Amino acid sequence: MLNTEPVAGYIPELKALKARLSVFVRMRWLVVAGIIAVALSAKYLFHISFNLLPVFIICLFLLVYNFWMYLWNRRLAKDDTELVINRAQTSGYLQVLLDLAVLTVLLHFTGGITNPFVFVYVIHTTAASILLSRRRAYELTTIAVGMAALLAFLEYGGVIGHVNLVGFLPVNLYRQLNFVWSVIVTLAVLTYTSTYISTAVAGELRQQHLKMDLLRDKLLKDDEIELERISAEVTHLKDERTSFIRLLNVVTHDLQAPLVAVQSCISYVLDGYAGEVVPEQKDWLQRGSRRIDGLLLLITDLLDIPRIELGQLKQEMADLSLNDVITHSLEGLEIVASKKGLKLLVELPEKSPVVSGSARRLQQVITNLINNAINYTKEGEIKIRLLENSDEIRVEVSDTGIGIPPQDLPRLFDEFYRGSNVETKGSGFGLSIARRIINAHGGKIWVESPNQATGHGSIFIFTIPKKQNKPN
Amino acid sequence: MSKILIIDDDADLVAVEKAVLEREGYKVITAGNGKEGLVQTRKEKPDLIILDIVMPVMDGYLYANEFNNDKTISKIPVVALTSYIESPLDQPVPFDVLEYVSKPIKPKDLVLLVNKYLKKIDK
Repeated sequence: MLNTEPVAGYIPELKALKARLSVFVRMRWLVVAGIIAVALSAKYLFHISFNLLPVFIICLFLLVYNFWMYLWNRRLAKDDTELVINRAQTSGYLQVLLDLAVLTVLLHFTGGITNPFVFVYVIHTTAASILLSRRRAYELTTIAVGMAALLAFLEYGGVIGHVNLVGFLPVNLYRQLNFVWSVIVTLAVLTYTSTYISTAVAGELRQQHLKMDLLRDKLLKDDEIELERISAEVTHLKDERTSFIRLLNVVTHDLQAPLVAVQSCISYVLDGYAGEVVPEQKDWLQRGSRRIDGLLLLITDLLDIPRIELGQLKQEMADLSLNDVITHSLEGLEIVASKKGLKLLVELPEKSPVVSGSARRLQQVITNLINNAINYTKEGEIKIRLLENSDEIRVEVSDTGIGIPPQDLPRLFDEFYRGSNVETKGSGFGLSIARRIINAHGGKIWVESPNQATGHGSIFIFTIPKKQNKPN
Repeated sequence: MSKILIIDDDADLVAVEKAVLEREGYKVITAGNGKEGLVQTRKEKPDLIILDIVMPVMDGYLYANEFNNDKTISKIPVVALTSYIESPLDQPVPFDVLEYVSKPIKPKDLVLLVNKYLKKIDK
């Protein structure tokens, strides 16, 4: 069963109702023009004799009444309360009722039941079917047929006068019962059929609207639930990550402490505090000591991750001259490069850009990049460039080395990742830590290999947003 | 003879440092945590304190608070010897230290470090 009763507060329905009410107002203007045109042409073109004055008076009434409806609709359009749908429906009902009355009166002055426009009632009942609930539509259809019948039989019985359309139809047609009945029955069949069809279609449409609306609500609600679930999951993952990083911090610290003690004990012996050490003993001890150094280096790198991730880097932030940072990063590296026969070229702007950052951490990044470049370059040069534009600083470290295989590029900045064409060296953490440091500065780091400008070697680039000059 | 207090929970490390410094002719006293360290600091009034940060019972931060509030000891110079070169996670140590030194430190470097501050003070 279709529920064709309009749903209160159902906005699309309400919008449709408002739109239809204003269509009726527009149609009524046309109807007035139509009545005048038909009346005038009937009188002067077809020479049908009837009094025009009542027709004009009715038209005037229609104009005034329609203007009032026009204003009423405008007020209704601004109203968005729950009550408005009831008001609009009442207004629609009264309008159809009044239109039916006007039509009946008009018919009375223009030939009553003998006027072929008697079938115009169908238009009114169809309008009611579209505009109102099924019950209201049938109510108005019955009223329409009743009005027509009342008019016909009042004139038939001589209770009210009858205007003869002289020159159009036989004069006493209205007094022929067969004719009166046939018109009334035809009218009834037409109006009820049209109401049946229209309410069925309108009801179907309303039902569709309602379903769509329910579906939309359901989808919106599903979205909301899904969103809540995802956000809870994200929060959970963030918490997990933080506790994991804290765990990492504790574990690495506990790994480091005994190693430090072991290293100190070995150093104590190596440095001769425990008596003389013969060269062979020294050699073995040094081997062990070197391995511990390597392990301690790895642990320092591992400890860097929680330190950067847990926001300590932010505490170290200060205004820095990047020229100084780069110059400091190069200390010691020139010797390493020249030992391999590599040239280390540095290009700095005359006036150093200033950024907000951790000098120690940025130095760590630059040193790491240059160290990598030296390690992976057999001959040629390593070039460090500092560039500046309106909103960011750009540091480039390019080499003439072996380059990076394309399949390695996407994972290069991941933890423990080592290029497939390089020998094991270092902890494998360097670039991952560099990425974390640069990200913590609000910047980006990436690699182009081969260097797009030269076609060979690699170029590592990172950017840092410029310090925003806050007004005072 | 200058007196050095080492506050560190790693007994082996303390043993090495103590042996090295005693050989250099310093008098070395030790404490296994901040609480013991505080007792020793007040009792012995050392010329230099070598302080670890992460320790059980009372860590370097809490020690620093007590140290600062006690005017009888708060002027004693402190070197922070920590397992990582920077001030540890989340919070800086709330008092002035002469220097942060990262572990492990080689015996020779430890001697140089201590000599640097104690020689200066002796003058």
